Amino acid sequence: MTSKNDLSADIVIVGSGVAGSSIAKELASTGASVIVLEAGPRIDRQHILDNCRNTVNKNKYDEPYPPSPWSMHPPDQSTPNAYLHTTGPDAQAYQQSYLRILGGTTWHWSACAWRYLPSDFELRSRYGVGRDWALKYDDLEPFYYQAESMMGVCGPDPKVEDLGSPRRQPYPMEALPLSYAAEQFKKLIDNRTAYRVVHEPQARNTRRYDNRPVCEGNNNCMPLCPIGAMYNGIHTVLHAEAAGARFIDNAVVYKIDTDASNKKVTAVHYYDPDKHSHKVTGRIFVIAAHCIESAKLLLLSADEKNPNGIANSSDQVGRNMMDHTGVQVTFMSGLDSLWCGRGPLETNVIDSFRDGSWRNERGAYLVHMVDDNQIDLATALAIDKGYVGKDLENEIRYGASHLVRLFSHNEGMPDPDNRLTLSKTHKDVLGIPHPEVYYKLPDYTVRSCDHSRKVFREIMGLMKGSDPRWTPGYFPQDHPAGSTIMGHDPKDSVVDGYNRTHDHENLFIASSGVFASMGTGNITLTVAALALRVADTLKKEIYHG
Amino acid sequence: MAKTRSFFAQFRNILAITTGLGLAISAASHAATTDTDSLLQKGEYLAKAADCVACHTAPNGKAFAGGLAITSPMGDILSTNITPDNETGIGHYSEDDFARALQRGIRKDGGHLYPAMPYTAYAGLNKADIHALYLYFMKSVTPVSQKNQPTKLDFPFNIRALMMGWNLLFLNEQPAKTDFEHLSGLERGRYLADTLEHCSSCHSPRNVFMAEKKSGYLGGSPLGGWYAPNITSSPNSGIGHWSEDELVTYFKTGKVTGKARAGGGMAEAVSNSLSHLSDQDLHDLARYIKQVPAINDRYDSRPRDQYSAPPVTTDLRSGETIRVDRPIAMDGAAIYDNNCASCHGGDGNGSPDQHIPSLYNNSVIGSAQANNLVMTILNGVQRKIDGQEVFMPSFGDKSLVQRLSDKDIASLANYVTGRFGRGDAHLKAVDIATIRQGGAKPFLVRYISVLMLTGGLGFLLVLSLIYRFFKKTDRKSAQS
Repeated sequence: MTSKNDLSADIVIVGSGVAGSSIAKELASTGASVIVLEAGPRIDRQHILDNCRNTVNKNKYDEPYPPSPWSMHPPDQSTPNAYLHTTGPDAQAYQQSYLRILGGTTWHWSACAWRYLPSDFELRSRYGVGRDWALKYDDLEPFYYQAESMMGVCGPDPKVEDLGSPRRQPYPMEALPLSYAAEQFKKLIDNRTAYRVVHEPQARNTRRYDNRPVCEGNNNCMPLCPIGAMYNGIHTVLHAEAAGARFIDNAVVYKIDTDASNKKVTAVHYYDPDKHSHKVTGRIFVIAAHCIESAKLLLLSADEKNPNGIANSSDQVGRNMMDHTGVQVTFMSGLDSLWCGRGPLETNVIDSFRDGSWRNERGAYLVHMVDDNQIDLATALAIDKGYVGKDLENEIRYGASHLVRLFSHNEGMPDPDNRLTLSKTHKDVLGIPHPEVYYKLPDYTVRSCDHSRKVFREIMGLMKGSDPRWTPGYFPQDHPAGSTIMGHDPKDSVVDGYNRTHDHENLFIASSGVFASMGTGNITLTVAALALRVADTLKKEIYHG
Repeated sequence: MAKTRSFFAQFRNILAITTGLGLAISAASHAATTDTDSLLQKGEYLAKAADCVACHTAPNGKAFAGGLAITSPMGDILSTNITPDNETGIGHYSEDDFARALQRGIRKDGGHLYPAMPYTAYAGLNKADIHALYLYFMKSVTPVSQKNQPTKLDFPFNIRALMMGWNLLFLNEQPAKTDFEHLSGLERGRYLADTLEHCSSCHSPRNVFMAEKKSGYLGGSPLGGWYAPNITSSPNSGIGHWSEDELVTYFKTGKVTGKARAGGGMAEAVSNSLSHLSDQDLHDLARYIKQVPAINDRYDSRPRDQYSAPPVTTDLRSGETIRVDRPIAMDGAAIYDNNCASCHGGDGNGSPDQHIPSLYNNSVIGSAQANNLVMTILNGVQRKIDGQEVFMPSFGDKSLVQRLSDKDIASLANYVTGRFGRGDAHLKAVDIATIRQGGAKPFLVRYISVLMLTGGLGFLLVLSLIYRFFKKTDRKSAQS
């Protein structure tokens, strides 16, 4: 009989988010044995929602997910350095937020499901800056569609609104209608500026999909879609389980073993919450544990054969940390009421700055007019100004209907100095070091942010805006990438064009860690597409390899 | 009885000859093509009205190709391919074969159908209507080559010949003398209700042999976990307080705001059948249903949709979160709050346009039978009318939204009936488990092994004695 201490499978996956669970689902469907190790616990929607309803500060979207001691995650952006420690000139701009629980971080996300532009994969060739990926848009196109079908993505008809990423099939679902506020914003931008507002592709139901309901506009995508209309990684986990994959929760992987030749990974070891160690052997291993945790695990597994860590002969593991670090402003519109906060959080984007010849010197970006409910902020502002009684009510009503929030996703740039290391001072209850990141915003991104601020001012002018509140410095977008960067050359990259590590032939990495450029769209769809491409490679590997 | 039947058989033959003669004459005329067209149209309409597609089409399957598992207390009965494919369908059926299957429950090969096929209702079909149906199935339906899956019931229900005895007792409907085109008013309504739509197949209670109790006609019946409610003219227990127009709206859309929504089998009946009928037919049907003799349940003190909005409650929050690896058991109110309120509202108001219904003034929740509430939670709702879909997700064991335990569903249903309906339904986890498995098993299924001990003929004798006894009690209770 197999004891829990002696597990084995064809495919062993670390991490159960959208990347890990989609590989598990694909491989288990072919009959392969699959074990997925997840550091955090198994949770269900109703208990998180109960937490959501009870929290005081609804804007802290990590609050309903209090971490378990053995699977810490950053509590939220406003509580820095509680788990993810950041240093350097722009330390505050790298306070990323993510979840370590079954199903991963897409429990709370805004469901923006962008494909990258073909140019995003060829930044060096086209603009002479940054790096090229070791794959091209066309290599990923079929997997983008597979990811869109798996997650259930709605988006505009490419003939009506071309988002710049060529498609062989239409979106699986029709685009989400714009909210009233977004419609007004679109009219203004389309008519009065040289820019345009487009429907954002969203992993959110505009019809019944995968037996999940249509979005009811609870405006609660973060911290949690209360009805399952938005895609969460847990949906793929449940499908993968139905297909026969085994998910082990509360299993914190802390070590990766290789064979004598160091060419192959032989096992991973994990701690359960009581710090009992378990070993899992397998044929193929996939690290799909989020950009930050994946790099942390590789570094943590350093041994005599791999003194810098697993898959790290290039010394690039943990380097090139990127994000869509952006700028953010909230202001009071002087035009008619908008009443932001009806419908989902994000429905529209200004996509006019996603590409251009200027990308040789400054980063691209996109702008969200965030459609979130403004009552919280309106109330704080009205109380600050000293209103009481009926006047207070009127002022809150005015603020809630006129406040507008804009933020940008600005293109990062791989810089080896922006580096993740293991903390020497902080350890979790299992004795595993916390991650630490040094971050200085690349000049390329600074220039992009400067440009965004100019455009925001222009928009504020058009909207007769007043009382602007700029988020000090730069705004983290929780899209970390680059920690296990992709490239052709094993000397300066960690994985090849198939996400296979250069150093170990049966070790793959499925996470935004492999991104060689940052682009502008939210990263999840590209993570999912890359993961499905890994699944495709693994199928060939185990059945014909 | 046998004599009467043979008399009718002869009468049918005479009718057939006359109709055949009529057809021969019309075939000679130049209007032959148009005649066939209109016959095919009539056949299609009748097939819609008889809702053949609902059972004879598998989820995501080809129309009429069969393969749907129909839950019955004896086990799953798999519907068959009724497309005109020669090998796997009914392409090789003559019109007489077709009529025999529809009205006697006998296949071309002589095998007996189970009464999941409502042949006791279709027995009332007029000969000319069968002709139109036959033509429609043979000429308009696309043949699909798809082999039938065998239905595997436990002994003794796997012996199809047993149905001979059953048919002797319960197959007693006679074919209508007038065809659908020439029926009007209440007669047409009755034909729609009893023969085509076979309302009583679900809405009439069943006797110990699982045949419809005539004395309980449309008085409500449990059905695979669901409960097909009382739709007699009783004001408190049935639909006596509904206007004819409201019934028609319900048939057309599955929805009457402030009263009822169609779920489960009724959602299918509305989607596939009722919503396709003409307004005139729906009015005839509604008028007929409205005059069905009332069956009153003395526990119903008011109509099930007449429990109105509860007092608005204040929503106070603790400000505390619990660690997600240590979830605490939630009570009914919290389960409601975290699974239902995001769409139906904290106070059960539904959406302002009532696309999402209120939970008060809602027949499912005001019913004394909590089955439909539980089944709706377990299976969700799916209804498609004119391309517009109404959908509520399932909270059952395959849900991607939330999988609720038996205990959770019991607490939730008790809370919902307590707050929005006629009072706490006092369900326990074990009740939910029973409903999840398709409801309580009827007497015959539960005690079949005991009954079988008596063996052979004795078995049949005992059954018929029990039947007579129940028939008498039925009459008595009907009289009282």
